Amino acid sequence: MDRQEKLKRLATAVLEMDLEGVGPLVEGCLAGGLSPIEILSQGLSAGMREVGEKFKQGEIFMPEVLVSCDVYYRGLEILRPLIRQAGGAACRGKLIIGTIHGDIHTVGKDVAVPVFQAAGYEVIDLGVDVPDAAFVQAIREHAPDIVGLGTYMTSTFMHTRETVRVIEQAGLRERVKIICGGPAVDASAARKMGADDASDDAWEAVAKLDRLVEELHAGRRS
Amino acid sequence: MSEVVDGWVRRLKGKVRPIGEMTHWERMAAAFDRKATDLVPVAPELDYWQITYAGYSHQEIYNDVDKTTDACIRTWADLRTDAIWMYVDISHQIENFIPPERRPEHFLHRGDKDYLLFKPLARTIDEAIELYESRAYERYLEGSRPVTHYTPHMLQLLEFQEKMDRIVPVIVGVATPSNYAETIVEVQQFVRWTITEPKKVKRYLDLALEERLAALDFYAEFAGRNGCQFLCLFGGARTWGPKQLEQFGYADELFVQKAVKLFPYVFWHICGHNLPEAMRLLTQWEGIKAVQYDMPYYSQKLSWAEWCESVARLFAGKRCAMNSPTTQVACHGTPEDVRRMVREFLEATLPHTTAVVMPGCEIDSYSPVENVRAMIEEARRKPLS
Repeated sequence: MDRQEKLKRLATAVLEMDLEGVGPLVEGCLAGGLSPIEILSQGLSAGMREVGEKFKQGEIFMPEVLVSCDVYYRGLEILRPLIRQAGGAACRGKLIIGTIHGDIHTVGKDVAVPVFQAAGYEVIDLGVDVPDAAFVQAIREHAPDIVGLGTYMTSTFMHTRETVRVIEQAGLRERVKIICGGPAVDASAARKMGADDASDDAWEAVAKLDRLVEELHAGRRS
Repeated sequence: MSEVVDGWVRRLKGKVRPIGEMTHWERMAAAFDRKATDLVPVAPELDYWQITYAGYSHQEIYNDVDKTTDACIRTWADLRTDAIWMYVDISHQIENFIPPERRPEHFLHRGDKDYLLFKPLARTIDEAIELYESRAYERYLEGSRPVTHYTPHMLQLLEFQEKMDRIVPVIVGVATPSNYAETIVEVQQFVRWTITEPKKVKRYLDLALEERLAALDFYAEFAGRNGCQFLCLFGGARTWGPKQLEQFGYADELFVQKAVKLFPYVFWHICGHNLPEAMRLLTQWEGIKAVQYDMPYYSQKLSWAEWCESVARLFAGKRCAMNSPTTQVACHGTPEDVRRMVREFLEATLPHTTAVVMPGCEIDSYSPVENVRAMIEEARRKPLS
């Protein structure tokens, strides 16, 4: 089997939710001389992009997407230490993400994190029901470009204002862009509450992340 | 007999001005039966919103049934919507699954206007099955909030409904098997297991169904016998795909079959991004009279009017359509946004079937009063020939 075929099979394993098969396939790619970064970007991440396409077309649905994400992670776990050893992958930006205070739903974040990683973002996941102070601490610790606030319900989305206020009070607002995500978000309402944008679709959000990182860096340059 | 109810009955009975030719009850019943109404009914699920509208904080009413009931009636007396929704929080539904000493760690209050945060009861499908097999919900029922808060509040509102000679119906909400099954473990885990553990999911759903079918007997005895006729079935399965609906939809269908035998006006609540297959299924399950639906599924690139029209065509001759504005627009939009959404919904729906104006999910507690009023006013303005 040639390199392309191996990578294609890996992408298909993600799409077909092959939890058992992904590990041996990643190992096979490594044994065949493919680099961890190649395996990640052209195998696992390519699979996640295909998942996104099929989700948008209504060919697969949230249960399938979530299991595909689990497959992606299972493969990534094998590659992560090797990528670290090799000096890391090219990174489009750094993002900290967490489900906002008072919200324990992870259904959106569980999809968003692997999608963002597959798109080339370094993602630090702070978990669920994240206190505002923990976002502040994580900004200081990790110096991200973007803060992702996951919300599942309208009530918790409304907490955005408070999280932004706490980040502002800590003097960190200018250092980061803030984006809200989840099924109940609304971009103009997010902006009114002090965030920079919002998206209810992880794949569409990638384009927004790219724009926000660009704006942030342009702001830092000027 | 309840003092809070009697106080309101003394103030309101014989004194509430009719807003049309029909009573609120008659208007809702006619819409559900797909008959002509004098005005378009408006019945938003006011939930937490009515608590703060009535001047209470969420924490203030959490342990006070009288204040909860007072908030619901006070809000209705002021806004004159076509139904009164019971206040329900998650502790009312599932506290009886949890031993008393562990309850505080599962229910956390947020702010005065916010909801109750619930932490799941089981981490694995095996734990979830064990929870049902051990019949935890029976062992811990005594002294739990379904008994001490939910039921007394429901009975008070039904007492009000009956003492007011049924001019306005009280909507009692019941969660379906899929809703319970998802809530207990958190939806994201449940939907994964539909793929990775389908046999166990079936076992789990069968157990949830058994408990829910027994719960319907309770509703027949306590709600039905006390005058309840309008029953909202809070469906889960909102993120399921067509395969899951086909494989596991049977539990909710069996639940519906029993509910519609016990109550005359049963409707289904399906919030979120509605899958077309789910909407079709809801036109096939016999006995449901109306569907409180929400937004189009992600892959359906439709305008609001197009979406409403597509649903109305699907519901024609079968179901009353309940929607508009969305919960999000009711919260973040302007009164004009709200009016426009209501208008588009009615214009798209009424040529095909009857309509009830209400968001596909609850009115969020942060929604401005002027938006709620705009929704009601816009519906009332719609001329019906």
